[in-house]
Amino acid sequence: MSLDIASVQDQLARSYRERGCDANVATMTIVVFFDNPAIGELARERIHRLSSKHPSRVIVLDATAPDSVHRVDGCDWIELGAREIGPEMLRAAVAALRVTEAPVVLLWIAPGIGTDPRFESLCEDAQTIVYNSSLLDSGHGALRELVCYLDERRDLPIADIAYLRLAPWQECVAIFFDGDAVGELADLERVEIACGSEPEALYLLGWLASRLQWTPSAPEVLVNPQGKEIVFSIDRQGEPRRIARVALSSSHSTFVAEADASQETILLSVSGSREHGPRYRAIENPGIAALVERAILWGHNDRLFAASLAAAGKIIARGEG
Amino acid sequence: MADDAIATVTPAGDGAASNPLREGLPADQITNPCSAVFFGASGDLFKRMLLPALYSMRLRGTLPTDFALVGFARRDYTDESFREYCRQQLDLFMPAEKKPQGALWDDFARRISYIAADFNNTKHFVDLKNRLAQNDRELGTCGNHLFYLSTPPPVFPVIIKHLKEAGLERDSEGWTRIVVEKPFGTDLASARTLQRAIEAVFPENEIYRIDHYLGKEPVQDIIALRFANTIFEPIWNRNYVASVQITSAESLGVEERGGYYDHAGALRDMIQNHVINLLALVAMEPPISSDADDIRSEKYKVLSAIAPPPHEDVWAMSARGQYGAGSIDGRPVKAYRQEADVAPDSNTETFAAAKLYIENWRWAGVPFYLRSGKRLPRKVSEIAVTFKPIPHRFYGDTTDSIEPNVLVIKIEPDEGISMRFEAKVPGPKEHIRSVYMDFSYGTGFGVQSPPAYERLIGDAIAGDQTLFTRWDAVERAWEIVTPILEVWQNTKDFSFPNYAAGSQGPESAKKLFADWRHL
Repeated sequence: MSLDIASVQDQLARSYRERGCDANVATMTIVVFFDNPAIGELARERIHRLSSKHPSRVIVLDATAPDSVHRVDGCDWIELGAREIGPEMLRAAVAALRVTEAPVVLLWIAPGIGTDPRFESLCEDAQTIVYNSSLLDSGHGALRELVCYLDERRDLPIADIAYLRLAPWQECVAIFFDGDAVGELADLERVEIACGSEPEALYLLGWLASRLQWTPSAPEVLVNPQGKEIVFSIDRQGEPRRIARVALSSSHSTFVAEADASQETILLSVSGSREHGPRYRAIENPGIAALVERAILWGHNDRLFAASLAAAGKIIARGEG
Repeated sequence: MADDAIATVTPAGDGAASNPLREGLPADQITNPCSAVFFGASGDLFKRMLLPALYSMRLRGTLPTDFALVGFARRDYTDESFREYCRQQLDLFMPAEKKPQGALWDDFARRISYIAADFNNTKHFVDLKNRLAQNDRELGTCGNHLFYLSTPPPVFPVIIKHLKEAGLERDSEGWTRIVVEKPFGTDLASARTLQRAIEAVFPENEIYRIDHYLGKEPVQDIIALRFANTIFEPIWNRNYVASVQITSAESLGVEERGGYYDHAGALRDMIQNHVINLLALVAMEPPISSDADDIRSEKYKVLSAIAPPPHEDVWAMSARGQYGAGSIDGRPVKAYRQEADVAPDSNTETFAAAKLYIENWRWAGVPFYLRSGKRLPRKVSEIAVTFKPIPHRFYGDTTDSIEPNVLVIKIEPDEGISMRFEAKVPGPKEHIRSVYMDFSYGTGFGVQSPPAYERLIGDAIAGDQTLFTRWDAVERAWEIVTPILEVWQNTKDFSFPNYAAGSQGPESAKKLFADWRHL
C-alpha cells in the first residue's frame, strides 16, 4: 500500500494559492495518530483548538481509514488514511509534509507503543511525543507498556497527560509536610488513593516512592530506607482520569486530600497529633487541549516524571509478581 | 533503570529542600504561611489591584493555604461586613470565570478580618497584634506577618511608628516584612526622612519597596534577554548602540487621582521610579548571580554612573508638558486644569522627558531618552534600543533609506520583543525595506503572564527581594531627577497647556528627541 504524497502536496499548494496564504506561519507540525474513531473525533476537536492558538501544520494519521483517503482542509490541516500504511511510508509522509525548520510533535493515541513499529518509526523525527495512558486504558496496561518501552529508550522526549494531571495533587500532598510536619514522612505507614483510573494513582504513588526512596517489597507494600513498611491501596472510584481522594497515615496522624464532587476544589484535612483546620486548594482542570499544550511546552523533559514513571513501573511489576 | 533502587531526583538544595516532596515541583506554590495586613484596605488600590491579585493567587493555588488577610483602615466595617465588601469588589473586578463562589471563596472569606482603626491610635495597633496572634493560633499563620502600606504616603511614618509602639515590628518567632507602595517620598529630602523612619524600625532585608512595573513579565525578561543569550551582549554597548529610549505613555488622564497627581506630576509619578528602574535593568553590568542583592547592586552601580543634569543644562536635557483639551479615540476629553481636584492654574507637568548619559565604559556617549506622559494617543510602554547605522552603503536603490536596526522590548499593552531589520523587497530591483521579527508572550509560551501584583505579593511572602527596589537605588534615582525637579518647580510654565490630549506631546520634547531615530 502507498500514499500519494505528491497529490497531497499539490492539494496543499492549491489550497495555499486559493486562500491567498503568502507564507507559512506554522510554529510546529502536530502529527496525530489514532486507531479508534471515537478517540479520533475527540482528538480532532482538541487539536483544532490547540492549532488555533499556536499556528501549526496538523497531519492527522487516521488508522481507521483506508490509505486511499486523503484531504487537505484550509492551509495547514492534512488528513491521511493510514490503516494499511507501513511504518516507513508513514515516516516518509510526515517528512514530506511537515513544516521544515519547525519542531514535530507526535500525539500517539493508540495502544501498542512497545510493539507497533509505526510508533517507533514516527518517533524518529519527533521532538516531542505526547501520550495519554489513562485515555487508552483505565487499568494499568498502557502505563506498563510505556514503562517497558522507556526502559529501552530512556532518552525519548515523551510526556504523559495522565502524569500532567497530577500537579494540584502533588502540591496538596506536599503541603501536608511543609515545616515541622516533614518528620511525619519517615513515619508514614499507609497510603490510600481513590481514583477513576489506575495510571494517575500509580503515578502519584510512584512520585511519592521516588521522592521518599520507597521500594516495593510485596504487592501493595513499600518499604522506606529505614525498613518501615508502607501499605498502599488503589481503589477505583469516581470518574476516569480523576483522583478523588488521597489519604496518608502515620502512626500519629492522618492526612487527607479530597476533591469535591465538581472536581474544582481539594479539601485538605489533618487529624491526630498534627491536627490542622481545613484548607482548600483549587484544582485547575485545564482540559485536554491545555494539557497537550503543557506537554509540548514543558512536559517532555521532566526528571520528576521520569523518576515517578520508573517507580510506578516497579510497583506494577511487583504487584504482578 | 537499575532493579534494586527506584529512581530519585536529586534534591534541589534550595530553601524548600527540607520537604523532599517539594523538590522538582513547579515553584509556583508559596509555602510560607502568613497573615498579611493591608493598611488602607478600604482604598482604591486594595479593591482594584491587591484584593483581586490575592484571590487570583488563591485560585491559581499559589497563595499559601495557611493565609490570613487583615484589613486595617478608617472606614467602619466589621469582620462580616468587610468580607461582604471584599466579595462585592471581587465580583466587580474579577473576570466572570473567577468570581468568588463555592468552598474556595468560603475558605478565603473566613480568613479575612478587619480592624476599623485610627492610624494615630496605638490601641488599634494593639488590637491588630491580638488579631495576628489569634490568626497564628487558629489559622496556622505561624507568626509570619506581612504589613502592606497601601495608604496615602503621608500616613506611612505614622503607621510605622505605631507598629513599633505596639511591639509589632518583631513580635513573634516568625518573620516580619513591610511592603511600601510608591511613591517613596516626594523628593530627595522627604524620601530620606521616610527612609529614616522605616529603618529605625525595620532592617533593609525586611523592607519591600514596591514598583509594580518590575513585576511585569517583560521587565523580568530583560535580564533573560541580555544574559541568557549570546547574540545581544556583545553589541550591548557604545560601539553598536546609538541610543536607548524608554517610553511609558498613557492615553488616560488623571482620572480620580487629580488631588494626588497635582502634587506629584509625571517626573515623580513615573520617571523617578518606573522608568529609571527600566533604565537600570537595560544598562546594568552582568550580576555575578541571580541573588536579589547581586542584581540590585548592579542596578545601583549603573544609576551611580548617571550624572544628574546640572541646573543650567536642565532645559537642554529635559522637556515638560501639560495636556490641554483634545480627543482620544475620537471622543473629546478635557484639559488637565479642568480635571477634578486639579488647580485651575496648575504648573504640574503631565508629560516629562529627559535625556541622560551613563558615564561608564560601556555606555559613554549613548543618550538614554526617558519619556512618560498622560493623554498621549495610546497606552504603550516599551524600551527601544536603536543600533548605529551601517558604516558604508553599497547596496540598494539610493532613493531607499536604510534604517538602523531597532530592538523593541514591549512591556504593555503587548508583551513581547520585536526586532527591526532591513530586507530586500522581492523583485529585480535592489529595493530595501524595513521588516520585523516579532515575539509575543501570549503565543510564544501559550500562557498569559500573571498580573504584576500577583508576582510581587508572592515574592514578598516568599522573601525574595529581587523585584523590589533597594534604598540606595531609590535615593540615587531621586538624586538624578532632583535638579530637573528643582528647576521645573521654580519656573512657572506660561505655555501650559502645551500639548493637546491625543497628540504626541509638546514641541519641546520633539526637539529633545531630534537625534533619535525610531519609527
